[in-house]
Amino acid sequence: MNMRYFEARDLSVSYDKVAALHGVSIGFNQGQIVSLIGANGAGKSTTLRAITGLKRASKGEIWFEGERIDQVPPEKLVSRGIAMVPEGRRVFPHMSVRDNLLMGAHTRKDKAAIASDLERILNRFPRLRERLRQNAGTLSGGEQEMLVIGRALMTRPKLLLLDEPSLGLAPLVVRDIARLILEINREEGVSVILVEQNSRMALRISQYGYVLETGRIGLEGASAELLDNAHVRALYLGG
Amino acid sequence: MEQILVNGAILAANYALIALGITLIFSIMNVLNFAHGQMFMLGGLLVYWLVVQIGLPYAAALIGATIIVGVIGMAFEVFFFRQVMRNSTREENTMLLAVGTALLLENAALSLFGEKQRGVPPIVSGVYKLGDAFLPANRAFVFGVSVVLIVAVLLFVNYSRTGRAMRALAQDRTATLLMGVNTARVSTLGFGLGAALAAVAGGLLITVSGVNAGVGTAISTKAFIMIMIGGAGVVSGALLGAVALGFIEAFGYAYLPGSLTYLMIFVALIIFLLIRPQGIMGKPWG
Repeated sequence: MNMRYFEARDLSVSYDKVAALHGVSIGFNQGQIVSLIGANGAGKSTTLRAITGLKRASKGEIWFEGERIDQVPPEKLVSRGIAMVPEGRRVFPHMSVRDNLLMGAHTRKDKAAIASDLERILNRFPRLRERLRQNAGTLSGGEQEMLVIGRALMTRPKLLLLDEPSLGLAPLVVRDIARLILEINREEGVSVILVEQNSRMALRISQYGYVLETGRIGLEGASAELLDNAHVRALYLGG
Repeated sequence: MEQILVNGAILAANYALIALGITLIFSIMNVLNFAHGQMFMLGGLLVYWLVVQIGLPYAAALIGATIIVGVIGMAFEVFFFRQVMRNSTREENTMLLAVGTALLLENAALSLFGEKQRGVPPIVSGVYKLGDAFLPANRAFVFGVSVVLIVAVLLFVNYSRTGRAMRALAQDRTATLLMGVNTARVSTLGFGLGAALAAVAGGLLITVSGVNAGVGTAISTKAFIMIMIGGAGVVSGALLGAVALGFIEAFGYAYLPGSLTYLMIFVALIIFLLIRPQGIMGKPWG
């Protein structure tokens, strides 16, 4: 069987015996952005948590670059090139912006490369450079989102998992974040799994989309087609 | 007056080691270490045992005792605290466990070392005179070592890679895990370091005032007072609390009869907590 770059097969997850995912399968090729959209509680975040091992799947397999990763502990996935930006941003609030970014390089030993990555990320996010010595808790929501994405980039990811990056941000800032995700994908060749409530934004910047409905894939297809799909339009794009 | 300030500074430096240790454990593990005073006591008695019974030089005994108690702290984390935290959903369970480890250490010390007050002769002899105050050279030595250790711990926590991971862990465990940090290992290290700091404080103080197996609860109480004054889980608060308690105690002993000092401290603490429950440097909950 031909293996894709990333494949999750038939994932099932339950919380305290209540099933949250029933046999979810997703897969894509290197360099793609795929989005997972769906209502609250449909299982989008759970899918990401299962991929990173924060929540173990009770059934199913996860393959990345031809290796099975579903039994790998979450902290070991970072050095394999998978970085997750959790929902709600989760900066280290009482730590400087600089230390937050350096936490992303925790598993790396290459001092010179860490310094040059830090420089590159600060060039990408000039706002963070201005606030380098400030505590992360004092940043605005949009700046915090940039910080957690920058922090994840410091791990040198091949695959970036983004959980609701637009949550709670003003429309203009959401547009900035969307452009940023595209840039990172194109310029750094990072594949992205994007979980979003903002379905329109997610489908616009991704090539492929999955619609989760109560723990199952209700619908999947090229993002452009999903944007035109009557069902998706009615339920997730506000008509 | 100078004498009181000198005494206060020495107490403050020793207390700061205790407060830093309990703060490390509290912030990294979210565990209030009720056994902290017992770890202090064990550090002191182990130094006594290594110097007086085994005949090691003091420096070797202090290092040895610190390592032994540090390893005990790490073992507590791996075999007790981690298991209880994994299996329980209530935070009180780790508190009960901490009280249990305090009893365990205290009774182990009683059976190994007996209940007598033990001391080690001063490491350096002589007395300095600072203005009108007398400063025994041994107390100056204890003060100096304490300050060096405090600075070393602060540098480690603020500037090393592992120290940064400890601070991250204290702020967000999941996010830290997602940075590829082996959070279990960092927790173990943090618990060990906290325990070692209590032990080294005890190992230093035994050359000044002696230590007995029952001193633990009183020391833990002082540690709690310090972090309540300064703010729980905040390093700057721990240091501030230590300085405050050290000087208040020095003044109290100079001007108030006997046991009245701690009565006043507790009354003042209750009033202070009514006004500022999160301590001076602490963040309000929620």
